[in-house]
Amino acid sequence: MGEYIIKRTLQMTVVFFLFLVFSYLLFNAIPGNAFSNLLLNPDLPPDAYNRVLELYGLDKPLFERLQLYIVNFFKGDFGYSYKSFPKTPIELISERLPRTLMLFAIVNIVSFYTGFFIGKILAWRRGSQSETWITLTSVFSYTVFYPWFALMMLWVFGYKLGWLPIGKFLYPEKWYDAPFDSDIVFSSMIKFTIVVSLIQFAAYLATRGIESLSSRRNLRFASLIAIFIGSYFYWNNGAALIKKPYAADIAYHMILPVMVVTIVAFAGTALLTRTTMMEVLKEDYILTARAKGISQKRIRDRHAARTALLPVVTSFIFTIVTIIDGSVLTEQIFSWPGMGQLLLQSVLEEDIPVAMACFSFVGVFALVAHLLADISYSYLDPRIRIKSQG
Amino acid sequence: MSKEVLSVKNLNMHYETLSGDVHAVKDVSFSVKEGESFGLVGESGCGKTSVAMSLLQLQADNAKISSGSIVLDGVELVGMNESELRKVRWDGISIVFQGAMNAWNPVVKVGEQIREAIREHYPEKSKAENTEKIESLFKMVGLDAAVIDRFPHELSGGMKQRAVIALALSCDPKVVIADEPTTALDVVIQDQILNEIKKVQELLGLSLIYISHDIAVIAEMTDQMAVMYAGSIVEIGPTDKVFSTPKHAYTRLLLESTPSVVGEKKKLRSLDGEPPSLINEITGCSFSPRCPDPSDDCKNQNKEMKLVEIEPGHFADNCCVDCG
Repeated sequence: MGEYIIKRTLQMTVVFFLFLVFSYLLFNAIPGNAFSNLLLNPDLPPDAYNRVLELYGLDKPLFERLQLYIVNFFKGDFGYSYKSFPKTPIELISERLPRTLMLFAIVNIVSFYTGFFIGKILAWRRGSQSETWITLTSVFSYTVFYPWFALMMLWVFGYKLGWLPIGKFLYPEKWYDAPFDSDIVFSSMIKFTIVVSLIQFAAYLATRGIESLSSRRNLRFASLIAIFIGSYFYWNNGAALIKKPYAADIAYHMILPVMVVTIVAFAGTALLTRTTMMEVLKEDYILTARAKGISQKRIRDRHAARTALLPVVTSFIFTIVTIIDGSVLTEQIFSWPGMGQLLLQSVLEEDIPVAMACFSFVGVFALVAHLLADISYSYLDPRIRIKSQG
Repeated sequence: MSKEVLSVKNLNMHYETLSGDVHAVKDVSFSVKEGESFGLVGESGCGKTSVAMSLLQLQADNAKISSGSIVLDGVELVGMNESELRKVRWDGISIVFQGAMNAWNPVVKVGEQIREAIREHYPEKSKAENTEKIESLFKMVGLDAAVIDRFPHELSGGMKQRAVIALALSCDPKVVIADEPTTALDVVIQDQILNEIKKVQELLGLSLIYISHDIAVIAEMTDQMAVMYAGSIVEIGPTDKVFSTPKHAYTRLLLESTPSVVGEKKKLRSLDGEPPSLINEITGCSFSPRCPDPSDDCKNQNKEMKLVEIEPGHFADNCCVDCG
């Protein structure tokens, strides 16, 4: 496995290098002198302008410029943003990224979980009336024109009913006297989510070896309750207590986008799970499992759904890959100031260093996600494990 | 005489399809005694597997048992609800399916799949006890203990089939059904598996129902046998009697269509036509359309299909007893 990962990493480096070169060349093809757009910023002092020009060789021919850019890139120097000058792309990204990740991590996990759950029930209840209706609904939400649907939801919940905020990720008036930046609240929310999922995962792993099914279930339930109690104490004590109202404000703003994207995104997973699982249910080992006297629920979850998981994970990984570029539309509609907006703005305003940095981030993200997908396959399907080693 | 473990009386089962009811099992009665092996033979589509599925009530959703009774160790199985049936399955009757290749879930370890069955029926047993039990079963069927931690795709076809036998024995069932357990295997492995089943059956004193289309295997494996045709039993009796003095025309043809290694050379006979469609209600003798030399009674459909005792314990359908 280790050898495989090293091999893949080397391949990925080559691919990423090509990606970088092509992106640079494409930006260079923009009419006008895209890379010295710097001139247009009136706030830039002349000596800073000259310094940047010299540092990044912006007056040099294309090939030399490209060389310099790539060398600088691997040194971790991405240049300076043209539009908000003293800031570097890294600063801009590290401000925006947590917002996008927080929103879309939650959306993806919620939508895949519900999609998988609903799909598995649909396959199990094949032919029933409820199956027909839920499948029809899923097909509707799978095919609906997303921007229209999102605007309709905004209109209903934000305007007509007034339950949820229209756009933005916080109420600025609440944050006037906030003792910290919104980024800090965001990153502590992310940390909290990660820790909770790790604890849940560890509890799952620890209880795996227990032979009695009922005590296994009870222990898992107990760990869930412990997590709830633990998070209650976490948010009501110490440093987290101060952040609590602000975190709550952000969470309140997240409800509508999470809801809308989930409604659109869950359907694909549900339909995919339904199809795969219906194939699996025809297999002989499902009959064997029934003959063994195993409960229906366990056959459904353990035998049928487990085997049907592979294509679902594939589609999950592909969704993860497109989180950042896929967030453009959603963030635009909900005016959520995340990576998607940064990407769009920087391209529209020809803020090339920022755009390049955003795109290379998307590239790294995609490559790493694919590697993770391949590794997770080998754990989900033991038949693949052998091939990847051989 | 040892006691009856399983007795099936007048079992009727049909599939409800769009083009009408398919009567797959018609008025089937037989019984299996403790430690006895019972063979069920017949051509494809004659209802052998449907009988097996009815015993465990694992038939497809559109299949209905319309009448009859299945009594296992004094307990009536027909009419039981799902949770009662789940207790009977594997613990009372277990089954070795045809095609062991697909009997294993490809993503779960073999040991875990056996463990799962034991856990369902004996939740109080510890992990170590279960492991020990699986290892002893593997030893019995000639498998290495390391197979516990293997995935199904890491085993050969023969090993999978051995493991399936171990799986079938894991809850010490009263009756084991072997539904064409050797169909997908080559002859050498077939022989090994048959010997394994026979050995285990004698060792544990199992009651075995052996289902096959291969009459030679039935002769080797069973004490009692029944010949099925078009959903009903046409001849039933001790295996040696059925082989030495076959009474029904279909049984005779079935025997004559199998080559014999010893004895005089005989031309093999073949049987033209196909079994009748089971959708229509068959009146009179179901075999007469294919009977090569039907008696007048048979041809004119004068006789009702009914098993008659020809000699003690040996019954045959009375329509075709006199046919050629």
